[in-house]
Amino acid sequence: MFFNSFSFAIFLPIVFVLYWFVFNKTKSTQNAVLIIASYYFYSCWDWRFLFLLVFSTFLDYYTGIRIEKAKTELGRKFWFWLSISVNLGFLGIFKYYNFFADSFSQLLNGFGLQTSPLLLNVILPVGISFYTFHGLSYVIDIYLKRIKAEYNFADYSLFVSYFPLLVAGPIERATHLLPQVKVKRSFDYQKAKEGIFQFIWGLVKKVVIADTCATYANAIFDNYESMNSLSLMLGAVYFAFQIYGDFSGYSDMALGMSKLFGIDLLRNFNYPYFSRDIAEFWRRWHISLSSWFKDYLYIPLGGSSGGTAMKVRNTFIIFLVSGFWHGANWTFIAWGFINALYFLPLLLLKRNRSNMETVSLYWDLNSVKVFFSIISTFAITCLAWIFFRVKSIAEAFEYIGRIFTNRIFESQYLENERYNYEIIILILAFIIVEWNSRTKVEPISGRYSYLKLTLCLAAIVALGTYSDYKEFIYFQF
Amino acid sequence: MKQFLIFTVKTLVLLFLLLVVLDFLYTTVYLQSSNRGKIDYVYNSAARDYDVVILGSSRANNHFVAPIFAEKGLKTFNYGMSGGHLFEASLLLKLMVERKYKIKNVILETDLNLSNEKRDDGVSSRFLPFIHDSKTICDHFSKETDFNELYYVPFYRYVAFDSKIGFRELYKSARRETTIYLAHLGYYPLGNKKGNMKNNISNLKPLRNKYYEGIKQLCEENNINLVAVMTPMCSNTKGLNYFEKVQNLYPEIHNYEKVVEGDQYFSSCGHLNDTGARLFTSIIIKDFFNK
Repeated sequence: MFFNSFSFAIFLPIVFVLYWFVFNKTKSTQNAVLIIASYYFYSCWDWRFLFLLVFSTFLDYYTGIRIEKAKTELGRKFWFWLSISVNLGFLGIFKYYNFFADSFSQLLNGFGLQTSPLLLNVILPVGISFYTFHGLSYVIDIYLKRIKAEYNFADYSLFVSYFPLLVAGPIERATHLLPQVKVKRSFDYQKAKEGIFQFIWGLVKKVVIADTCATYANAIFDNYESMNSLSLMLGAVYFAFQIYGDFSGYSDMALGMSKLFGIDLLRNFNYPYFSRDIAEFWRRWHISLSSWFKDYLYIPLGGSSGGTAMKVRNTFIIFLVSGFWHGANWTFIAWGFINALYFLPLLLLKRNRSNMETVSLYWDLNSVKVFFSIISTFAITCLAWIFFRVKSIAEAFEYIGRIFTNRIFESQYLENERYNYEIIILILAFIIVEWNSRTKVEPISGRYSYLKLTLCLAAIVALGTYSDYKEFIYFQF
Repeated sequence: MKQFLIFTVKTLVLLFLLLVVLDFLYTTVYLQSSNRGKIDYVYNSAARDYDVVILGSSRANNHFVAPIFAEKGLKTFNYGMSGGHLFEASLLLKLMVERKYKIKNVILETDLNLSNEKRDDGVSSRFLPFIHDSKTICDHFSKETDFNELYYVPFYRYVAFDSKIGFRELYKSARRETTIYLAHLGYYPLGNKKGNMKNNISNLKPLRNKYYEGIKQLCEENNINLVAVMTPMCSNTKGLNYFEKVQNLYPEIHNYEKVVEGDQYFSSCGHLNDTGARLFTSIIIKDFFNK
């Protein structure tokens, strides 16, 4: 059941009515509605994996309490590492086992030892990377005595399984979400209205921008051997907007619908393609994951407190792990590595926190510099996205090599019977809208909101891509 | 909450009005279009005279070289549509009759498409802009499972088939951009392709097809001579006895499956290349029109 599906358009209003009109007496009844809805939502993907979700929830709930109640340091450590190893174990088996087995086998084959790896025929449970990280952050925070353990199982279950964020985030923190589910929510008209606006804007990003760009990006990436330089460059740009529209669109829908239930989720995107350097990009892209890695990996490793060598080491670790989190393929690791390389000069020159204020452009020389820094950051981001999109690293190098060697910059008719340049106007219009609303969460609210709402609804029905349906990219992670 | 419910109702009303307005706009544009494809070329036309009209799937579109008919003095148009089934061929003929076309002969490619009575979404969606304007189209779709959505929900058909009749097609129709579909009197020549030619049609079973029956009846009622033919397949096809089954079921369908043999005449296993199509067309003209 996708957020942009017909079944979800029925599911959401039913949950809304039950939540606010039937079971709104206490916090417990409100939570019960959301838990049942969340488990139903998850079972629509594959009911067999519900046990994994329930087990993961129970494990972290129980170990959290045992860590808090442990009388000795040894006991605390035991329960902590039990939780960490079981959580990462599940992730390892379902997501990474085949990758490691295959890579190890290839390594042995490289040394002349012919082996055929024992691969598991398992489906990746949807959302496992997200709810595992919820649980991990909760247990780590208790172990580090940042928070108290949660004794109400229902409240904790809702924290892990809350359906707007269950399958593709944002990755929530117990410190942010748990306090909200522990109190009865009252209906707030302004918040709910904002939620509708944000949900609709997310839908625009998904069906108008991401799915339309995907049609063109797929036609280019799947036939890159016959594409000219212009098509290959446009292919990378289209994929950049596809993945941004897809994931930030999903996040906007999740945040928007959560506001309908009176619950605020963490912001996940903050107009990343207007970043002036790669450090700023990573403060604006998939914020909940970046901050998770910063808090639970980078800082425990020593963060920026050590010498330059330690900073560099930690930076590479965090980017490589972040890449690997996205998927069990060397292409994602390469993508993480490239981003670490981009980050390195800023780190060494201590300029990784130099663009903290909101970006603005005026008619002056400095704005020209800012403009070109935005363009160059976007260009190198697109180059990295090529590694994220292709099937192998060799393919990425061939793709990039062809951009520079083909040198034909002409319109090209693609296999999907469309010209390579056809959606440039759509993308430019999207950029203008995003630029004008970069200080807000979404562009609909404010003056002329009904006019903007009308335009968004018209764009969804008239410009959306429906017959060539594409799943949300981040569901596979 | 009351305020929110009012806001939600307003938004839903706004959405409904948008759907109605967009539906009207799209339909109006498509009603002016007559050069994008074979369906609007027929739908938005007045009466035409033809000696020969060709109908069927891509195996008609790519196999009957309409300009050769014209060279022989036969006024012809190839209305074969790639991907189309008999559902669409039957509806197109109904529309021609409705528009008082004077047709002496219909050549109908009737072979693999006899095996199903389903519509092809890619082709049939091109009729949908006219569903409210034409009782013929409405009746033809009335037994389809999604008829209610297609007919009663405003703009639904344009969303469901956006790649065929969505904004992009609307834009091109409004600009009156032409397509290749109407060139060469509707015939679309195929080139040579490399690779092994093979196909497996052993699972196909010819049906007593209601749309074929409908075409036969329509031709009889309007004094149109119907020439139903089976067209060539490459020799490396499993289940070629399908064509014998068709012959047993409908003895009036002429079996021309074997008249062009040799991979050099094929673009793919089920489609002749231009050379093969010219050879095939010459045989058909000689046998049925004695020219």
